[in-house]
Amino acid sequence: MIKTYASRFWSLLKSFQVTIVMLALLMCLVLLCTLAQVEMGTAGAVNAYMRSFIVWGDFSLVPFRVPVFPGGALVGLILACNLTAKTLDMKRTWAKAGLWVVHLGLIVLFAGEFVAGMMQVDTNLSIEVGQTVNYVSSYKSMELAVIDVTDPSWDDVHSVPETMLSRGGVITLPGTPVTLSVKKFFPNAELSNLPAGQTSLATAGVGPGVLVVERPTATTDNEVNQVSAFVEVLAGGRSLGVWLVSNALGAPQGFVHEGRAYTLSMRLLRQYLPYAFTLKQFRHDVYPGTDIPKNFSSLIQVVNPSRKESREVLIFMNQPLRYEGKTFYQASFGKNDTLSVLSVVENPGWLLPYVSCVLVSIGLLVHFAIVLRRSLKRRQEKLEG
Amino acid sequence: MNFTKHLAWIAGGLALLLAITFALPPGKARGFDVAGYGNLPILEGGRVKPLDSVARNALLVIHSRQGFRHEGRNIGPDEWVLDLMYRPNVADAQPIFVIDDLEVLGLIGAKQTKNRNYFSFNELGPHLDEIQKQAANAQAVTPQKRTRFQSAIANLFDRVFLYYRLRNTLQLAGSPGLAWELQSLGAADAAPRHADLTQLAHFRILPPLAGAPPEAWQSIGQALTAAGTGGPLHPGLAPMAKLNAAYVANNPAAFNTALAEMKTLVNGLKPDALGHANREVVYNRAQPFFAGMIIFLAAFLAVCVSWAWKPEFLRPTAFGLLFAGTIVQTLGLFFRIILQGRPPVTNLYSSAVFVGWGIVVLGLIIEKMYRNGFGTATASLFGFASLIVAQHLGESGDTMEMMRAVLDSNFWLATHVVTITIGYSGTFLAGAIAIAYALRKHIITVPDPETDRALSDMAFGIICFALFFSFVGTVLGGIWADQSWGRFWGWDPKENGALLIVLWNAIILHARLAGYVRDRGIMVMAIFGNVITALSWFGVNMLGVGLHSYGFMDQAFWALLGFCTSQAVLMGICWAPARFWEPRPGARA
Repeated sequence: MIKTYASRFWSLLKSFQVTIVMLALLMCLVLLCTLAQVEMGTAGAVNAYMRSFIVWGDFSLVPFRVPVFPGGALVGLILACNLTAKTLDMKRTWAKAGLWVVHLGLIVLFAGEFVAGMMQVDTNLSIEVGQTVNYVSSYKSMELAVIDVTDPSWDDVHSVPETMLSRGGVITLPGTPVTLSVKKFFPNAELSNLPAGQTSLATAGVGPGVLVVERPTATTDNEVNQVSAFVEVLAGGRSLGVWLVSNALGAPQGFVHEGRAYTLSMRLLRQYLPYAFTLKQFRHDVYPGTDIPKNFSSLIQVVNPSRKESREVLIFMNQPLRYEGKTFYQASFGKNDTLSVLSVVENPGWLLPYVSCVLVSIGLLVHFAIVLRRSLKRRQEKLEG
Repeated sequence: MNFTKHLAWIAGGLALLLAITFALPPGKARGFDVAGYGNLPILEGGRVKPLDSVARNALLVIHSRQGFRHEGRNIGPDEWVLDLMYRPNVADAQPIFVIDDLEVLGLIGAKQTKNRNYFSFNELGPHLDEIQKQAANAQAVTPQKRTRFQSAIANLFDRVFLYYRLRNTLQLAGSPGLAWELQSLGAADAAPRHADLTQLAHFRILPPLAGAPPEAWQSIGQALTAAGTGGPLHPGLAPMAKLNAAYVANNPAAFNTALAEMKTLVNGLKPDALGHANREVVYNRAQPFFAGMIIFLAAFLAVCVSWAWKPEFLRPTAFGLLFAGTIVQTLGLFFRIILQGRPPVTNLYSSAVFVGWGIVVLGLIIEKMYRNGFGTATASLFGFASLIVAQHLGESGDTMEMMRAVLDSNFWLATHVVTITIGYSGTFLAGAIAIAYALRKHIITVPDPETDRALSDMAFGIICFALFFSFVGTVLGGIWADQSWGRFWGWDPKENGALLIVLWNAIILHARLAGYVRDRGIMVMAIFGNVITALSWFGVNMLGVGLHSYGFMDQAFWALLGFCTSQAVLMGICWAPARFWEPRPGARA
């Protein structure tokens, strides 16, 4: 009984029906994802349609989310299984060798997209001419940074990611006497001057003069949430006050405890690197007599003490720097051509598509050669017969 | 018969001769060597090109054609631009601005007439303030969200502004000319005039001086400013002043002498510029893609007639014409590659030309293999259609504009872009064959399984071909993206479009392999391939999102919708029940 179910499942898994239905579903998903980008932005649409197992729909009639379509991850997974089953099932003859390699290449391609979908981290690095930067920043996620700035030559950074703040409660900062207690958290908020007669939760810093109104979180690629929170700072068993922290506030706020000076700021989530970049020169060339960009390039000094390395690298269009598992590529610029923005991508599977491309191309060529030989042979036989 | 054997060659040869006559230089206009003046190299849009290209593109943008008839004479782009720059009072009276939009016509107080509405600059003059005001409102709206009126008024303003800039490039319109400017260099009111000239100049005509950087071309205004502030006098100013004076004084002999002087000077300063400009002028004049379009149409008509009348004469003729058209188009593509120093596909315009080229080359091969006229018919029709599309895309101006920084990579343009475009060609040709199959099934009365079989083999072979190229092209595109943006796949609309083509072709092949569809089913699916390809080629540009949205266009939306609808109808025809296919029992067989 079990055996028949298993064999029926196996024959379903390797069937052409599944292939065709899944390919058709994938086409629909790709189309929907493309159209949705106009409203949701690329990242939003990709997360909703391609990188999810189920596409959910919100309808005003029912209070909960309704599954409306299988998501890209599910379709991709089934397709990958179908592909694997089919490939294993294919006759291992030389005549099928080309197709074998083609489908193997496709499996690698799927694997590559899965790795990218699950593990790829996108960050960026903004750097001004002459500045030295040793961290990459997230595009959207925030962190609350508590920095001990007592020593002018050395900053001691303690940061709390946005996700941790949103859970609320008490957060200890190891290595410091400071403890934070989150009083209220806003994933996105609008800040304005507090009208007379109203009071704020905040008791210290600029907070007491600011009105915080919660807003729905941003959906498109270009918007950044104004993450805000009321945080009570506790140290040495007593409260130092409740502070309003938000990335919408400009300068960091500060407090002093036992002779040490601390700053408090909400900023884009940073990841510190064991090496540092210094921007020596940024170029933005245009074609003569026009403002059509011809080239953007950043001349970077890479200093890596762990490798005893210090060298210059030129990053320009179509020529990224791959360094320590990260790829740095020229993405944007600003501040009258003195600021260069490098996008940073970390994807452990970045090589897989290259492997796949080679496999599929070889496979198709082999298959065509086999088919061509067969048809020539047939023609020869016809002539002889 | 010997004659029929040679017919293909004769027809092809005649078509080629016709195409060559296009490239012959025109005669002098009123005794002036205007064509020679059009050969002068200038810097505009970031590249050195002949003045002729500027004149043609400007006239195309303003007038929608490259020439017009005025007071009983044909006026070409070179003569028009000379009048515009040196005798604006003459040019201002020529009705060259096309206005089709009813609301814009209403704005300038004119009525829609039977023909297209052409207006001169003088006629628009009283309404310029209003046009500028309305256009400023329209330009505040992003192009995707403009109403029809807003697009039309913004477009009219752009054209008037282009005209105005050309009018004030070599001398300020209404001023006595360059010779007078040179005499009054030190005058108190000269500097602001020079500044105006510098600011309005549409192109830079004076080659870089010896020792200056190679891209340091100067406009007349820049050279006058330099001379007026104590710098050296550019040696090109003197012959330019003579040209100016001779043209205004209606003295062809003096004009032609001064032109020779100017050319000698350009040759001395920039030895290769004149030769390069000359080549581009030949390309401009030959209009190879226009000539190709006409030849393809002739080939299509010949093959259509051949099915009803004298096939032994007309089929080889049609094949010869298709071959000639392909040669013309190939030469045109070669010219572009040499002129630009880039692979054939660099923008939407050239992608349309290249898709057409791929279709006709594939069609030629198929016709050679099967010899049943279907290769010729489908290839000539779709080749013709793609060149019409290219003709419309080319109306927006220079088709050899410089590549933006991210696209500036000959390696990837040659591999990714060319492969993916060949994939488009294949998918379209398979669709075209499917359409031919569907129509034929309804037209002929006698069943002909052999031809059906041949058509179905053709379509299948081409779908395999298209799948290979679109897949490899898409993956190469991913690798380019990984090189330049750090990610292989970003679900960008254009990437998704390419993926849709790959998926659809894969579905067709797997459905055939599994036996779910037979000949007719494959043909219906192949026609749908046309829809998918058209959407991923043009449709995604209309969304206006993503990294590939450089080819944005709004007017083509209805054309695209019409194309998709027509394909849906053809799918219906192909899918129509069997009783429509076979002659009914009892009907006369």
